[in-house]
Formats: sequence, structure tokens, C-alpha cells
Amino acid sequence: MIRHLFKLIWNRKKSNFLLMTEIFFCFLVLFGVMSLVVYNVRNYTKPLGFEHDNVWLLTMRPSADSAALNHQKLEQVVQQVRAYPEVSHAALTNSNAPFAFSQMTDNLSYGNKRSSQADHYEVDDDYEDVLQVQLSQGRWFGPEDNAAHHKPIVINREMQRQLFGEEEPLGKLIPQNDSVNYQVVGIVDHFRGYSEYSAERPAFFTRISLQQSDKSFWGELLIRVKPGTGVAFEEKMVQEISGIGKDWTLEVATLEKMRQNKSKLTMVPMIALGLVCGFLILNVALGLFGVLWYNISRRNGEIGLRRALGASANQVYRQFIGEVLVLATFGLLLGVAFAVQFPLLQVFEVESVVYFLALGISVVVIYILVVGCALYPSRQAATIHPAIALHEE
Amino acid sequence: MLKNYIKIAWKVLLRRKFFTFISLFGISFTLLVLMVASSLFDHTFGPQMPERETDKLLFVNIMREQRDGGFSSSGPPSYRFLDQHVRTMQTPEMVSINSMFFQVNSYINNRKLALDIKYTDRAFWDILEFNFLEGNGFSEQDVRGANRVAVINENTRKQYFGTDKAVGQHIVVDQVRYKVVGVVEDVPALRLHSYADVWVPITMKSQEFSRPGLRGTYFATIKARSAADVPKIKEEYAGIMQEVERQQTEKGTTLSSHPDTFLESIARTFLSNGKDSGIGILYVIMTVLALLFMLLPTINLVNINISRIMERSSEIGVRKAFGATSSTIIGQFIIENIFLTLLGGLLGFVLSAGVLWLINDSGVIVYANLGLNIRVFAFGLLLCLVFGLISGVYPAYKMSRLNAVEALKGGSK
Repeated sequence: MIRHLFKLIWNRKKSNFLLMTEIFFCFLVLFGVMSLVVYNVRNYTKPLGFEHDNVWLLTMRPSADSAALNHQKLEQVVQQVRAYPEVSHAALTNSNAPFAFSQMTDNLSYGNKRSSQADHYEVDDDYEDVLQVQLSQGRWFGPEDNAAHHKPIVINREMQRQLFGEEEPLGKLIPQNDSVNYQVVGIVDHFRGYSEYSAERPAFFTRISLQQSDKSFWGELLIRVKPGTGVAFEEKMVQEISGIGKDWTLEVATLEKMRQNKSKLTMVPMIALGLVCGFLILNVALGLFGVLWYNISRRNGEIGLRRALGASANQVYRQFIGEVLVLATFGLLLGVAFAVQFPLLQVFEVESVVYFLALGISVVVIYILVVGCALYPSRQAATIHPAIALHEE
Repeated sequence: MLKNYIKIAWKVLLRRKFFTFISLFGISFTLLVLMVASSLFDHTFGPQMPERETDKLLFVNIMREQRDGGFSSSGPPSYRFLDQHVRTMQTPEMVSINSMFFQVNSYINNRKLALDIKYTDRAFWDILEFNFLEGNGFSEQDVRGANRVAVINENTRKQYFGTDKAVGQHIVVDQVRYKVVGVVEDVPALRLHSYADVWVPITMKSQEFSRPGLRGTYFATIKARSAADVPKIKEEYAGIMQEVERQQTEKGTTLSSHPDTFLESIARTFLSNGKDSGIGILYVIMTVLALLFMLLPTINLVNINISRIMERSSEIGVRKAFGATSSTIIGQFIIENIFLTLLGGLLGFVLSAGVLWLINDSGVIVYANLGLNIRVFAFGLLLCLVFGLISGVYPAYKMSRLNAVEALKGGSK
């Protein structure tokens, strides 16, 4: 049966060749878009590792005063903010606060293992409470670290996997440079601060201690407010802070708003691509339908003959569907051969699972598409009465 | 002759309505996507309010320092650098120094407005052509005296003052009270060098003016006397950069900064880091992407066209029997196909006008004002012709090769 179908397709290779290229390109487009969608959806469903509701971000850009003076003012600001009854916790962080556009990456190495492009978060003791970070092992930073000999760090599970493998990481020393070591004090399971759609990357937190460094400045303050706190408090807070830091530029944003902005950045291109891809596929489907319909209607004589020789309507029907499936398989084989290169060559740093899922979805969609397009024309062909068909010839 | 061809084409279109629908759908949607993309491109890089004379405008927005040993840092240049070296340039007609925009807050009636503020000088208002709805840009005296005056955009006026006149009233932004002196039409956020919600005198930041170093938060906008002067300005700028690089105390420092058009600066950021702006590569990439996108609809159209001409094999047979050459038949079919694509193109125009309206309305791009203008229209027309030619040539060639006798009998396989 299959061999017979091959022969039929080979006989009309010229017109079938065009159909095949169409299916091939259609598959590639679908595969590309599907990879993107699968990648984003998979990331989105993973836990973020923190709670962002009711958290505000206060950004302070100081004026050109001396570093020591700015540092002194910053201490006052932090004290002031923590004293408000509406604020439950406040923590300083570097410019890479959750959902911010800035990123800080660094590499750590332990023994002969090296982490790949790890996110480095500089945070203070209250960060855990502000973002409600869940530690799975060890502890967060605290006043007891003031006297510590080594710099304490908290790492995430991905970092643990890359540096320590199966080893127990707590208490281990990681060299920062020749003279200073980090000591692992805690581990979090997940932390993806950059965006809901970013992949889990190795990350580590180092400690900000305002008291111990008297000239440094951190411009971002994360504030967890009590539920229901509104703009009125924000205005009051900004006014009072600008009383301390004169000439400073202040900006308050909610993490929820920042999350929405970030997600827009991923969603808008994805939706635009999805629409374009959807249009292309609809276009191809319509074309396929038209061409199949036309081709099948030109083969009346052949169908009439088969029916006259005793083939049932069902057999004719199955023949046409089978032909289209074989045709699609050729196009897909070529397409899959291309697509498989992505996971094999690791073109982008993406897990292979993403590509294979996308590949599977694309193949299924294309088969559904071609069968859907062939259904109506094949049924038309099957209902042809042999006498009429042969008479036409 | 042409009239006859078009008449035939029209009749053929009406004969098989389903096929006509498929063809027109494919053509119009392909053009729709390309038109929306080109409109977006034109909106970002083409001459639009307030940067109307794009061929005369250059922007300095990046200063990259590299030292031996791999250290590299880049960002906008500092005020001091721009003031000392760029404002003093000889070739340009005018130079403006302005800050990047910063987001700040403004509170009104228990509501928060997140506004983007930009610090500018007087030349900014002379170089760029804003559409003033009320008042005017601030004056040289305002800038020199660091007066607390502001120009706001239409949206801020609506948010802050409702339907009232704004000029003469006061607005509190980032805890500073400014007097409004002008209201301009909203500037699209994609116009990075001009966009803001509130513009105030650059002297409000005067404490930063003397800060040493080459990196800061400022842009320069340069206006040339004529488009022909642009290469001269680039040359003078390159000379200045060499001089500045020589003066660097730290050994082995290379600096890179260029006056670019907006498109050039984008190309430079993403595609190259050397002397060449990489704009050629950018054009190649865009053309390849457009062609790749058009590939699938084209194959589809070729496919359908081939099916359709087989129906007309007897017509071709008759024409051939009466002495028509292959080239006449190819010509006829290509004209028919271009007629079809133009029809689809027309539909595409109507559709894209609708889609652009939807995009503007949705607020996906802040203050977007995407529209179809003569440039986008011309580009669309060109695309139609290319599309029509590409998808028409192969079927026409195939058709013209039909043997007259066979064609009369009812076509080949």
C-alpha cells in the first residue's frame, strides 16, 4: 500500500515538490515560534523564589556631594523608612532589584569547577523578610556576620549544582580573590530575579553592611509595606526623604508594575510573532486545501476506474489521505533533520527538552493541518459515482 | 492590449471565487505584516516630529572606553566632555546638549504620575521641531538663570490640568515646583533623543557640569548646515576624539564615540564595535528577513497559480496555435499576476491602516503615532510589484512551455 502511494507521489513529483517545500518551510517557522513559546512557558511555570506583592522599590540618585556625606544621608534614609508604621521591612540592594533592567554577573570557582555567568545580588540582612525568600538550608545574613572572618554568601540550588555537585556546600569556602574568601552560609531553592520568563541561572547573594563601609552608596531600597498602603503614604515618604537627601532624584515604583513592564517586553514580541506565524500557517492551510482540492478533482478518471474495479468509497478516501500523509512526512523529515541540529549543536544555551517538545508539537500540528486540509477534498473524491467519472473521461 | 489583459484577469478572478479568495488573503496579509513593520521602522528612524530633518541631524549617545587588559565600559558621555569638545565644533550649525530622560514621580490629588524628565538647553528647541500647542520652549535667559520653568507634553497636561490651559500654571515634579511655559504634542517614546514628558533647563543639574571623566548621562544633538556637511562633521569629530584619546593619562586607553544618525547608532551598538557603523549589515539583515518572511506566501501563491493556469490550458493552446510567442504569454500572465497583487495590496493597505490604528490605540508603544505616509505607501507599492513578479514568473514560464497540441487537448500532467 505504502509503496503504491510512493509511486503515485513520484509520478506527480513536480507539483508535489512545491507542496513539500511549503510543508518544510511551514514546519521550520512553526518550530521556531514553538521553541520560543515552550521556552517561555516552561520558565513561567517555575517558582520565582520570592513574593513581590506589596513591595516597593525606592531608587535614589544622589547629587554630587562627597561620598561620605551621601553615605551618612543614606543611613538616615534607611532608618527613617524602617521607622514608618506602614513599612514592615526595608532592605538595600544593588541596582539589580527584582524585575529591574540591570543585571550584574560574576563567576565563582570552587576547586576546578567554575560557575557559568552567575547573577550577583548585593543585599542586606532584611532582604529575606522583604522578599520572603525561602531558605532550604542554612541561614540568611545577620548581625553575627559583622565579626565573621570570611565574607558570607547565600547561593541558589543551580549554583550549588555547578560548583559542588553532590557535596555538602554549607560552610565551604569559595575564593573571591587571592586574599578574601566567601563562606557559604545558606542555600535557596530558586531565585529568578530578572524576569518571570528568564531561565533558572546560578545566583549568589553577598552581604551589604552599611555600618562597616562608611563611603559606599547603594541607590535602591526595597520596601515591604503593609497591605492597603497607598499613594498618600508614598507621597509623604518621598517628601520626607527629599528633606534628608536634598537634590537627590527619587523614584518609587511597585514591583508589580515593574513585573508588568518586564512581562510586556517578553509577551509583546511573542504575541506579534505568534500572530504572524498563525497567519502564515492559515495561509499555507488555505493554499494546501485549494491545491489538493484542485488536484484531486482532476483525477476523476483514476477514481472512477478504481471504483469500477471494486474499490470501496472508503478505500479511495483512505488512499488520498494516505498520499497527503506521505507527502507531509517527506517535508517533515527534511524539516526535522534541520531542526534537530539545534539541540545537537547547542546553538543557544537552552535545554534540549525545549527543542524536542517544540519539535513534537510542530510535527503534530502539521499532520493535523494537512489531514484537515485533505479531509474535504478526499471525501468529495470518494463520493464520485464511477459511471459519471468514467463518462467524463 | 493591457486593457484586454486586465479584463481577462478580472474574468478569471470571478470564475473560481474560492481560489481568488485564497490568493487575495495571502497577498493582503503578507503585505499587511510588511507594511506594519515598515511603518514601525519609519516611525522609529524616519523623519517624524520632532526630528524632521533626519538627514541633517546627528546624535552623540555613546562613549566607550577600553583599556589594555580587557577593561571596557560604555554609556552616554559626560557634560564636561560634550561642553568642551562637541559644543565647540566648527562645522555644525548648532549643537545641543541634553540629558537622557529619567523617570521621576509627581503626585496630584492622591494620584501618582510617573513622568520622564529631560534636562535640555535652549539649542534643543531650535534644532528640533516640536509642535507647540501652547506657549514656547524656554529661553536662553531661563537656561542661564536656572529658572524653574518646564515644557510639558499633551498627555501630562491632560493628567495634571485636565482640559484647562497649562501655560502660567505650576507643576511639581520630583519635589521641585516648575512654571509651565509650553505644551507640546506627545513625542513617541521610541525617539530616544527627544522623548520626555517634561523638559526643564539643563542648568538645574549644574552641580554635575564640572564632574570629571568622560562618562555621564548626557547626549549631544548636532544639526548640520546641509546634508552634505554630515561627512565633514564626522571627520571633525573623529579628529577631536583622537586628540582626546591622546590626552588620556592612563596608557593604552582607546576611546570610541561617533556622531550618528539614530539608525546608525542602533546598528553600531548591536552589529559592530569598530569604526564602521555596520549600517550596511543592518540593511542586509532586514532585506533577508523580509525575503524569508515572503518566501512561504510566495511558494503558496506559486502553487495556487500553477493549479489555476492548468485550467486555462485550452486558452493557451488556442493562442499558441494562432502564433503567440512564449514571451507574449509570459508577459500576459505576469501582468495578470501583478494586477492580482495590486488588488491584494490595496486590501493590505486598508487592513494595515486598521491594524496600525489598533496598535496606537492599545498603548503598547508609549505615545505611538503609527501611520501610513507617502514613504510607507511607496515602499508597499514596491513590495507589491516584487511579490507579484516573483510569484508570477515561474508559473508563467511553465505555462508558456506547454505544447500547443497537448494544451488544446486539455493540458499535461
